[in-house]
Amino acid sequence: MEKLKIKNISKAINGLKIVDRVTASFLPGRITGLIGPNGAGKTTLFHIITGELRSDTGEINYRGEDITSLPPYRVARKGIGRLFQDVRVFENLTVSENVVSACYDHRVETPWFPFLRKKRWKALERELKEKSDYYIDYVGLMEMKDVPASSLSYGQQKLLAIARLLAGGFSLLLLDEPTAGLNPVMIKKILNILKRIVAEDQGKTIVLVEHDMSVVTEVADWVYFMNEGRIAFFGRTDHVLGDKEVREIYLGL
Amino acid sequence: MNYILHLLIMIEIYLILAYGLNLVVGFGGLLSLCHAVFYGIGAYASTLLMIKTGISFLPAMLMGMAITALFAFLVGIPALRFRGDHFVLVTLGFQMIVFTVLYNWVGLTRGPYGIPEIPRPGVFGYEITSLIGYLILVGVILMVTIIILFILYKSPFGLALKALRDDEMAAEGLGKSPVHTFLYAFIIAGGFASLAGSLYATYVTYIDPTSFTLDESIFLLSVLLVGGTGNRLGPLVGVVFMILLPEALRFLGLPDTVAPNVRQMIYGLTLILLMFLRPQGIAGEYKINHYGKAEN
Repeated sequence: MEKLKIKNISKAINGLKIVDRVTASFLPGRITGLIGPNGAGKTTLFHIITGELRSDTGEINYRGEDITSLPPYRVARKGIGRLFQDVRVFENLTVSENVVSACYDHRVETPWFPFLRKKRWKALERELKEKSDYYIDYVGLMEMKDVPASSLSYGQQKLLAIARLLAGGFSLLLLDEPTAGLNPVMIKKILNILKRIVAEDQGKTIVLVEHDMSVVTEVADWVYFMNEGRIAFFGRTDHVLGDKEVREIYLGL
Repeated sequence: MNYILHLLIMIEIYLILAYGLNLVVGFGGLLSLCHAVFYGIGAYASTLLMIKTGISFLPAMLMGMAITALFAFLVGIPALRFRGDHFVLVTLGFQMIVFTVLYNWVGLTRGPYGIPEIPRPGVFGYEITSLIGYLILVGVILMVTIIILFILYKSPFGLALKALRDDEMAAEGLGKSPVHTFLYAFIIAGGFASLAGSLYATYVTYIDPTSFTLDESIFLLSVLLVGGTGNRLGPLVGVVFMILLPEALRFLGLPDTVAPNVRQMIYGLTLILLMFLRPQGIAGEYKINHYGKAEN
């Protein structure tokens, strides 16, 4: 049933334990929050799941497959996509190219593909044009379709990064602070998109790192609370946020 | 007239080099300082094959291409572990090593004496000796090169290269393998440089290692920086500008005693001005920023 299972993951950097024996699992059709103070190890945990960092101990299992030591591009090909804290759109490509690039399977990204499968390539291009338009529309960037991504606002770049993940067909989305630095209107827009994603496709799993507690309460039913590299609490969002220790450590109440 | 034909032939040869390198520098965003090495290996490999085994030009050219591609693969594996400045330095190191080998392996390359009397290419029974014939031969090979490269430029492979160039971490997070994609680009660029080398060797009928020095690699890189990278027009503009500008300066009517030095200075100054006025190159859309890439 669990899509992503993390077992006993630890990571020390320069002798400092950033992630300490973390065990967690994430279910499909649901947005799970991952909260905690700065430096709690949330982003590092994302790095370990996506293969950017190698964990010292433990195992990561995705849909019954061990993915612990795969490089990032192979983790991505298994269906794990990530929204980076610093967005990372392809700045010199247009909005549309950004989304199309996410659609291409690595088997068509070989230099020989356009020569050996010319017809397939042309058909694929038409097909993906429609698909990318659908997702650009999904996040509401249709009128920006042909402008370079660098000329989008920060919030629009976040929307574009989300469109890219959706078009890429990822079934597990690791979202690192999708609403940070955005105005309330944009936050609302992004939350509606996230809700729509899980509502439309029960196979999608979303893990959300977020500091804004109103956001977490609104979209995530379950949260993990991390502190000093460990999972300190896990439970229903209102329970965890109501906990005295959590309120002291994190919310400063 | 012969002078103009000669310039046109050289422009064609450099276009093959520049359009191939564009895949690595413009699309991949990797500043390679060893493109002249692939040019040189192609020239030497096809020449030695023709002289030592007596095979004709076209098969020698294709075998030279295969040999150079293999070299590019062997260099690419270690070089592509690095990005930014470190990649530049690794390719620089390779450039120096190969130049030293070409210069000192007298038994094979005749070292500094060079290889004279390289046979003219025979294509389908015709020996090509005239400048016009040469212009057409190089032109045909240039056309084939451009058709293949333009398809690659707009293929999913080209888009993946650009995505990796703009943000390697994000592109890898979408399932693109940086090492595979960059390596393919490096090998393809090497292969086409080798074609240019074979054509150059049989055109001037004499090669020595000084045609394939670091200066040459820097020249090729500046062709792209001046013309603009990552698109179809940039290399054309760059090659025409960089080859014709020094030629045009000859007609300034400078006194003979100072002419060569002044020409060099005007040439250098023009490049500096250009970088101030159009850092993305004359016809470029994308500004190479390898310091930015080093962060990834």
